[in-house]
Amino acid sequence: MDKLVQAGQEKGFEVEQNIDYGAGPVDVVWNMNLHSALPNIKFGFLKLGAEEGQGASQDTEDNQLSLRKIEEAAFRGIRSGLDKVYIVTENEEMAKSVSGKIEWLASHGSLIRLDAISLGLYPEQQESSVVTPSQKRVPEGEKIRKEEEREREERFDKYNRPQGERRDNESEEERMVRELKIDENSRPKGQKKVFDD
Amino acid sequence: MSQQGENSYSQPERRAEERLQAIDTLKAPIIQMGRDLGYEIIENHDLGAGPVHITWVFKPGSESLPDMRLGFICLTEFSNSSINEGIARAMLNLIDKLVFVVPTETMTKQVKDAIESMPDTSILQLRKYVTVLTPSTLVSKSGIQGSRERRSTQTGGEVV
Repeated sequence: MDKLVQAGQEKGFEVEQNIDYGAGPVDVVWNMNLHSALPNIKFGFLKLGAEEGQGASQDTEDNQLSLRKIEEAAFRGIRSGLDKVYIVTENEEMAKSVSGKIEWLASHGSLIRLDAISLGLYPEQQESSVVTPSQKRVPEGEKIRKEEEREREERFDKYNRPQGERRDNESEEERMVRELKIDENSRPKGQKKVFDD
Repeated sequence: MSQQGENSYSQPERRAEERLQAIDTLKAPIIQMGRDLGYEIIENHDLGAGPVHITWVFKPGSESLPDMRLGFICLTEFSNSSINEGIARAMLNLIDKLVFVVPTETMTKQVKDAIESMPDTSILQLRKYVTVLTPSTLVSKSGIQGSRERRSTQTGGEVV
């Protein structure tokens, strides 16, 4: 949290620490005054860990924070009048898990787009914390490979698998033998199926 | 032997048990009232954000209108974190209006004050979304006519 305080001060923001606006404590708040005519923008940072005030439930053993804690923290920030609520976790994996859970919660179509307000961060984070949708995340090459696979399957259907009456007359055993041969002999390099002994 | 059985509960377990019992006590009249009024009742309605103790589902009379969901979350003790959590659960589970059900009038005031004390800059006006009441208020108020109803009854009751 000290790093966040320092970073905020270096950027010239007014920084508040361990402040409670009436909805529970917020660890760090950056008050950003971008223009004298515009109201301040408030970025809030809430640290979430395994420990909890009451009950001390340990839910970070598998680098996952519970939905309950994430929801509570996000709404603590919203009730505190923050424009953005960043949930700071111990490590990268946890931060990604928090962002993923926020995305999932937002996907139900609630009145509030939680993912537009809240995100998971980890202290050393330098790269963007915005979760990239899978359409953008999957490399182009992967898409091409899948397209090739589809085309190959289509060719199999056309030339290697019987059509019409021949297909209807084929017994289950014959079909299995044929599929096995295709599987063994017609896969591209590097995709040969390995059979167990 | 039975005494030994009772003592086998640890302190947090006993507290959790008592809390669950208190929630059940708060829930019972709401379920009953919803049934009497002919609404669809869902206990522990949960789309993934955590349970909303009771939900009344209204069908507004036309197939083209969406169902309305009134959610009830029972609070046994006052804390800001339980209020935050309750609001989050209700909003993220697509509840249209939330009612916090609390055991005492004192707590009603505490929760109301907490909700109304939000900063002006907040993007949500939670007082428009949340109502706080005790089960006894809910039941006793249901039999009382509103001022508009009273007026319309006095003037012949025809509303255009």
